Amino acid sequence: MKVSLFITCLVDMFYAEAGKDMTEVLERQGCELSFPKGQICCGQPAYNSGYVENSKSAMKNMIKTFESAEYVVTPSGSCATMFKMYPEIFADEPKWKDKAQELADKTYEFTEFLVDVLKVENVGAKLTGKGTYHPSCHMTRLLGVKEPPKKLLAQVEGLEMIPLPNAHNCCGFGGTFSVKMGDISEQMVDEKVDSAMVTEADYLIGADCGCLMNIGGRAERTGKKIRVMHIAEVLNSRE
Amino acid sequence: MTGTIQNREAFLSGIASQLGREQKTQVKKPIWKHQPQRAVLAGASADELLDVLRKQCEHIHTELIETKLADLSETLDNAVKLYGGGPLSLWKDKRFEEYGLMQLIESDWPAENIEVHTWQAELGGRNVELAEQANIGITFSDMTLAESGTVVLLSSSDKGRSVSLLPTNYIAIIPKSTLVPRITQAADLIRRNIDKGEQVPSCINFITGPSNSADIEMNLVIGVHGPVKAAYIVIEDC
Amino acid sequence: MSMKFSTKNFTDRTKDNISDDFMRQAVAGAQERLHGRRLDAAEELGNWEEWRSHGEEIRQHVLENLDFYLHQLSENVSQRGGHVFFAKTAEEASNYVREVVEKKEGKKVVKSKSMVTEEINLNTVLEEAGCEVIETDLGEYILQIDDHDPPSHIVAPALHKNREQIREVFEDKLDYKNTSKPEELALHAREKLRQEFLAADIGITGCNFAIAETGSISLVTNEGNARLVSALPKTQITVMGMERIVPSFEEFEVLVSLLTRSAVGQKLTSYVTALTGPKGEGDADGPEEFHLVIVDNGRSEILGTEFQSILQCIRCAACVNVCPVYRHIGGHSYGSIYSGPIGAVLSPLLGGYDDFKELPFASTLCGACTDACPVKIPLHELLHTHRQIIVEEEGRAPISEKLAMKAFGIGASSNPLYSMGSKAASTAMKPFTKNERISKGPGPLKEWTDLREFPAVGNTRFRDWFYDQKGGN
Repeated sequence: MKVSLFITCLVDMFYAEAGKDMTEVLERQGCELSFPKGQICCGQPAYNSGYVENSKSAMKNMIKTFESAEYVVTPSGSCATMFKMYPEIFADEPKWKDKAQELADKTYEFTEFLVDVLKVENVGAKLTGKGTYHPSCHMTRLLGVKEPPKKLLAQVEGLEMIPLPNAHNCCGFGGTFSVKMGDISEQMVDEKVDSAMVTEADYLIGADCGCLMNIGGRAERTGKKIRVMHIAEVLNSRE
Repeated sequence: MTGTIQNREAFLSGIASQLGREQKTQVKKPIWKHQPQRAVLAGASADELLDVLRKQCEHIHTELIETKLADLSETLDNAVKLYGGGPLSLWKDKRFEEYGLMQLIESDWPAENIEVHTWQAELGGRNVELAEQANIGITFSDMTLAESGTVVLLSSSDKGRSVSLLPTNYIAIIPKSTLVPRITQAADLIRRNIDKGEQVPSCINFITGPSNSADIEMNLVIGVHGPVKAAYIVIEDC
Repeated sequence: MSMKFSTKNFTDRTKDNISDDFMRQAVAGAQERLHGRRLDAAEELGNWEEWRSHGEEIRQHVLENLDFYLHQLSENVSQRGGHVFFAKTAEEASNYVREVVEKKEGKKVVKSKSMVTEEINLNTVLEEAGCEVIETDLGEYILQIDDHDPPSHIVAPALHKNREQIREVFEDKLDYKNTSKPEELALHAREKLRQEFLAADIGITGCNFAIAETGSISLVTNEGNARLVSALPKTQITVMGMERIVPSFEEFEVLVSLLTRSAVGQKLTSYVTALTGPKGEGDADGPEEFHLVIVDNGRSEILGTEFQSILQCIRCAACVNVCPVYRHIGGHSYGSIYSGPIGAVLSPLLGGYDDFKELPFASTLCGACTDACPVKIPLHELLHTHRQIIVEEEGRAPISEKLAMKAFGIGASSNPLYSMGSKAASTAMKPFTKNERISKGPGPLKEWTDLREFPAVGNTRFRDWFYDQKGGN
């Protein structure tokens, strides 16, 4: 199966390791991977801040970049959601609307692709310890991917999953919200970190690097000892 | 006598122009795509509905007492005494007679010095004062909603609003035959009556247990402005 | 109180509230309880999505045909002897109520909870006219006697107060001598208010839903105060937002079912009352005179716009009860009587961007509100639409942000630029990087690193690794 990676700008620049883990997991499942060079950013940072017009050039670039892809797979529920929103954003631009729809239709979040397309739940991962999972908002509510990460994590050998209290609450990232509304974001992320600490888990696992950068960055700043991991990293563990 | 209507035309034409069209004088209600309410407890028997009511009463702080028609008088008498006796406030309702309660109301209670006030339209505001002083208000249920544990009371000049509201305690007598699945059937009944040319009662109350509030630290307090306690007496009549 | 109740700016309000530990604990506790109850109530039905879809189709149909249904409503109210007043503005509405009260020589007014009467500043207008106005919902009563503390939640207005604070207010204002037990406080309010109900000349209520086909209005409460307000005083005045209407009892019952489940997880509240006109002939209780005031106050300007769906709202506060931002800043931070996600969308529409332009940005667009809404208002999308208007049409953003976003548009669509920038970033950030972390970032990063560590820009971008390992394509 031919898969084009949509790696997201965060992973490209800051979390290359998570990208590598996803690459290796998918290859082990027999996928033939490519990395369309033109990709940059899905446009979400500007779009969510209200700058819709400024974000469209980034979106058009992505539509062009993935035009010939068969499947587009990304390690981010939030960025996948953005692709899914393109058809509506370009509703008044017929030239782009159909292409946007094509892209939306063939885009999958990483865990969704594994479970729903490749039909695999056990990827042969091994990781000893306790984990807790933060369900990212865009991935669960807007993209509707709720179960796949849980199914995959349940099959990881040696990993005991503990429910995260108030898991449904946002971690306080929200893109530019995290810096524009720092006072509020701080309270939200503190509560998220505290909830994770209550579980006494060794790993806080998520499927979106934005949230993980927020939670991990705050945990580290406040000296909380919990390892923050992208789910790809967990699924690629072979210890 | 019809009431006045002020400023209507300008107001409504403003709405129409915001909606980008002429004012509408006819609208046909669509056939709704979704009607989930019809499926709730559809086809349930009276016994099944009673079962639902029984369980629901546990959640609404309401005592459910079941009785046979022959024992109704005794059951009601016991319930009244359990709640501390009179004064009592009652609707003027021929069902009290039909269900054999007149002996209790007219003879037994007065003989025991339990004061009974039956609503009398001609007494006007005095009815309200008496209801306010009553310890227990007693009415029949005109329709009973199993799902929510609700009694539906249709007011009239004989069936004052205050009886189920002002006394400290409230007892609803529920003939089992008045049980329906949910509020959907009450709405149907009201609409059927309109179709028959009847006027909607000036006040329809859907009452579900005693009054309560959670306004102080989300703590549930039973008994705020309305009755402090509520009981339902269900009569096996079907 | 009018809709806006604070002169402080959003940042200061937020700071004040974040430091209120009790409030935050209370809100978090209430959210968790109500969230659980709402989910249970929805789950029990088994087909909640279908219920939501039905709620949505009803509300959409009503808004599309609002002029017709309001006409029908007013005809039927009038047929039953009630008076209808259409008020374009808040002033028109409150002045009409004042005139009715003056004509009836009313001195004592009892009120049941109503957000729209807050919106039109009714209490102040009546008090200025020499009336005593008494709020009878327990939460509203507590706020009123505490020198008109603003409501912090559209369903549980006194959520931010603890029992000890309430006891102190009661002691101070009502000469209360008992403990801070909720039962004792509530009993005291019951006794005080019962006397007020019996003595009042005028009852004022809001309206959960008006029913066009019958000319009825409805009141949904647990306390029973709305029943007392509408059963005892000789004159009843009901004030409704113009969109709070349904075609008939058939739709009414569906929306009530959605409302009570979504608001408090109850199948029905203790009292749902449908009132039609003044009391019937021969009735011994109920009002002799009934007035219905239908308020626009900026609502019609929302019709026909991208914000129309906000008028579907049935004021259940489910969105408030799941909002992670509201959870930490409480209702008073919003500076509007309408708080939480519904408030963040509605307040700028009714009150303007000058006072409320920060609210749409006080959200992570997490979508919890949209998910919770029983009539499927796309709340987070409407928040986004506000943002777009504020920055693109109104141009109300700092110059630095505008430039940054413009640069984003260029940089994120041009591969050579991105490539250069992302590679240079690693070098540029070197001085700030220690142990693969940035703890004190420069420029825009500062806001981030004030609170959190920021990851170092990797020496090798993912794409470089991929080309290196797999070859380019």
